[in-house]
Amino acid sequence: MRAAVRRVAMRLVALVRRDRVDGEAAREIGAHLALIEDDCRRRGMSPAAAARAARLALGGVDQALERHRQARSWPWLEDARHDLRLAGRAAMRAPGATLAAIGTLGVGLGASTAIATLAYAVLLRPLPFGAAPERLVRLVASTPNPVAPDAPLRRVPVALSLEEARDLDAASDAIDGAGLWAPTVLGLSGLDDAGHVGAARVSSTTLSLLEARPLIGRSLDPDDDAGTSGAALLGETAWRRWFGADAAIVGRSIAVHSVLGRRRSQTVQIVGVLPASFTFPAADTGLWLPLPPPAGPEPTRAALLARLAPGTSPAAALDAIGPAVRALRGHGPDVRYELVREQEQLVGPVRPALLVLTATVAVLLLIAAMNVTSLLLARALARAREFSLRAALGASRGRLIRQGLTESLALGIAGGLAGLAVATAGLAAFRRLASPLPRIDLGTTGVGWGATAFPRLDDAGLDGAIVVAALGLALVVGLGTGVAAALRAGRADVGPALRLSGASAAAGGRRGRLLRRGLVVAQVAGALPLLVGAVALGRSLQHLAGTDPGFATTNVLTFQVSLPPAAYPDARLQAFAEALAERLRQRRGVRHAGYANQVPMVALRDTAGGLWTTADARRPFAPDAADARVVSRDYLSALGVGVVAGRGFGPGDGAGQPRVLLVNEALARRQFPGRDPVGLTVYLGRDTTPWSIVGVVADVRQFGLDRAPEPQFFVDVRQWQGGMPLFPTGAYYVVATAGRPERLIPEVRALVHDLDVGAAVFNVATLDAIVASTLTRPRLYAVVIAAFAAVGALLSAIGLYGVLAFLVQERTPEIGVRLALGASRGAVLRLVLGQGVALVAIGLVLGLGAAQALERALTSLLYGVQPGDAATTAAAVALFVAVAAVAVMVPARRATRVDPIAAIRAE
Amino acid sequence: MASGDTSRIALLQGTLDLIVLQALRTMGPLHAYALATRLAQAADERLIVNQGTLYPALVRLEQKGWIKGRWSTTEHGREAKFYGLTASGTRALTRETERWRDLAGLVERLLAEGGR
Repeated sequence: MRAAVRRVAMRLVALVRRDRVDGEAAREIGAHLALIEDDCRRRGMSPAAAARAARLALGGVDQALERHRQARSWPWLEDARHDLRLAGRAAMRAPGATLAAIGTLGVGLGASTAIATLAYAVLLRPLPFGAAPERLVRLVASTPNPVAPDAPLRRVPVALSLEEARDLDAASDAIDGAGLWAPTVLGLSGLDDAGHVGAARVSSTTLSLLEARPLIGRSLDPDDDAGTSGAALLGETAWRRWFGADAAIVGRSIAVHSVLGRRRSQTVQIVGVLPASFTFPAADTGLWLPLPPPAGPEPTRAALLARLAPGTSPAAALDAIGPAVRALRGHGPDVRYELVREQEQLVGPVRPALLVLTATVAVLLLIAAMNVTSLLLARALARAREFSLRAALGASRGRLIRQGLTESLALGIAGGLAGLAVATAGLAAFRRLASPLPRIDLGTTGVGWGATAFPRLDDAGLDGAIVVAALGLALVVGLGTGVAAALRAGRADVGPALRLSGASAAAGGRRGRLLRRGLVVAQVAGALPLLVGAVALGRSLQHLAGTDPGFATTNVLTFQVSLPPAAYPDARLQAFAEALAERLRQRRGVRHAGYANQVPMVALRDTAGGLWTTADARRPFAPDAADARVVSRDYLSALGVGVVAGRGFGPGDGAGQPRVLLVNEALARRQFPGRDPVGLTVYLGRDTTPWSIVGVVADVRQFGLDRAPEPQFFVDVRQWQGGMPLFPTGAYYVVATAGRPERLIPEVRALVHDLDVGAAVFNVATLDAIVASTLTRPRLYAVVIAAFAAVGALLSAIGLYGVLAFLVQERTPEIGVRLALGASRGAVLRLVLGQGVALVAIGLVLGLGAAQALERALTSLLYGVQPGDAATTAAAVALFVAVAAVAVMVPARRATRVDPIAAIRAE
Repeated sequence: MASGDTSRIALLQGTLDLIVLQALRTMGPLHAYALATRLAQAADERLIVNQGTLYPALVRLEQKGWIKGRWSTTEHGREAKFYGLTASGTRALTRETERWRDLAGLVERLLAEGGR
């Protein structure tokens, strides 16, 4: 055994110190030869005869050396070293072609690696919630929207009390554990305005279902569920950011104030720190508290998180618990329940896009691979003379093939390394593109407050396994692209290539020509679907960006003000807001200044229990209740929202006056079809105070440019006394300016500071920026696919150019003869053009099918663009033809400039 | 090297290795030519066709650490590489000889049975 190990080690030494060992062997064999000769001469032979006899006895010096070489190392490895050196030399001789091949492979492999990394991290990697995260489900309810029956259903979590959840769990075998949770936003008092943190109220069972393991301290106990212990868990990110990762945080008391809901200040004691990987209910949750104790006779209710029993499907579990929930909540049959897996909830919205990206990047990789194959083929033909020479000098066919494969493997590795660099840069660019305004209140990930347009992006990184897989793929692609070229090299014929001149030798035969044209056709066929996808997504984005949101977005500044809660009970909030708005109105360049509980595109909802025509103090919860907006008198004017019927709020609608409200057109259509709502009396939620509708205002796209306007009603802040807290998230101020709104920001800060030194301005953004932020995801998709399409189209155009340039070079003598015999330059031009047009046409026709399939897959990502739209296809074809025209025209024009005399003489 | 490999080439290789080791033990350090001459005399020239075929065996044995080559001069003043048996080579020879005898005996027995 030791001898075997020693032998391997010695072989390695022999490989590394090859030249030295070889010299030593040559010396030994030379000495051996001399000894035999000496002997022969001593036996009376002539020197010449002795020399011959010695060689005969030894069996040839070279043969002995070769035997030595084969025994002392791994001959194939030595050959590979030699091949690599040759490959390096060949690469240096044509640096342009080599760089082009490495770059092409790098882009193809890099894009594939980046997308594969994303797809794995987002879709496949299990959530970091214990041993069986796939069994965790959320219970949501949805009601069809009677105004827009085709609109995606709005899913709302179904709220249960702790006792109800416990009973549900105990009564059903389908469920193995149930917890409650509710997302919120809290302010950490005593910190600056950045102290707003995504938070969650959770039952202790929720944390145990998710197998939360605190870094330090403890999790929440069942004792904490009463909501009176004041225990709280801090997130690792918040802990590092605000408390310098101080381990003494456990046991410390900190003051928090609610930002949503009734404004309350509360002191909590941190009992533990949860790791950054604990991302429930959203990635930016940084504080977990027990559910609050009930405020009245009703118990505290929150959304249900359940763990399915092993082997139970969500549908089966829903059958088991659905009827009980329906009875508990008093929902009608039109309310549909669903148990949504936690993973599905998180990644469901981006799955179609990721699958499309995966498919398109695979096409891109294929195009890149075919492009490099063409390049290698062309190079193999150009090097036909070199290979023929080597074949003539005795290189075996296998050896030549291996040489070709070594070159393509080296190329694959270089391409793979380039690809890793491209992938790293690509992922960074993807992350930048996927970052909307970093604000908790602009969440785009559905339930919970998410601030990224793409879930789980932080998990997506190039780790060891992905690097290995990418390099493996690079080797496969390298080999795949090299095989055709290597086989060609192996077929090197000694005769013809050496006899004929370079250009003629490079003709490569019929089969080679067919192969190269086939590759070009396939590249064109692959580029078309990419372009169709890019055009469709681009048009969709254009439609979205061009959609009229129903309010003025330019020259509008929005911001919020955080006030010390102790100094500002609800009664003083409105006074502060009105004072600030009044001071703003007096500024030069300010056209309107108003405030409201929410501004458009903020992903918060407040229904105040909805708007009804009858009073009902025991009204059940309605998931589709209209949105309530509490606004200042100037708010609708500041946003440019027009009054369609009746009147807007006037100076006479102050406190103590008859209660009036405005509804939007969507609400009028839904709740008062065919009737004029102006003058009707309505009731809000369970409140029995009558309100009268005095006007109808135009619809506004409140929740996204791609979402139809939803029913809303507006209440003047001066008359607001309902059960709904005033400005739950702190008022949003809206200032319409005459000039650039950004210029007003320092003045705003100064004004706020003047009014109260303890107040801080936060969430400052123009309405334009907020609206643009909602387009983050469609823009991301459009940009990525457009990049893929651009690269794919460019590569196939380059492939096309290569084949035609080759054709012109190959047929230069023939063209010369034709021209000499009187053919017109136009005829020559048509000859080359015809070839190019034929290749493009075949490729485009073949690509149409794939393009249609891709468009169907894109359906859910498109807005205002029909899949299979002829305009989209036509635009994509036109785009490609424009690029291809350049690739065709350059060689075609070169053909017309052939000098007949020079061409014929060259042959 | 108790690999149990009984393919023809491995067997032949092993055989040549064994013969070289044995020659070096009885004769002391030898250079390749002397070794070849010695083997030719002992085996009626039936063993090696040409002397170059010795080199793979020498390389193998030296890489295993069973023999060690040293440059020196012959009695006629020529330089040559002399191979001598190492301590582990001596042990290996004993081991391999036993193995060879076992194998040879076994094969002989089997052949004898088959002849009957």
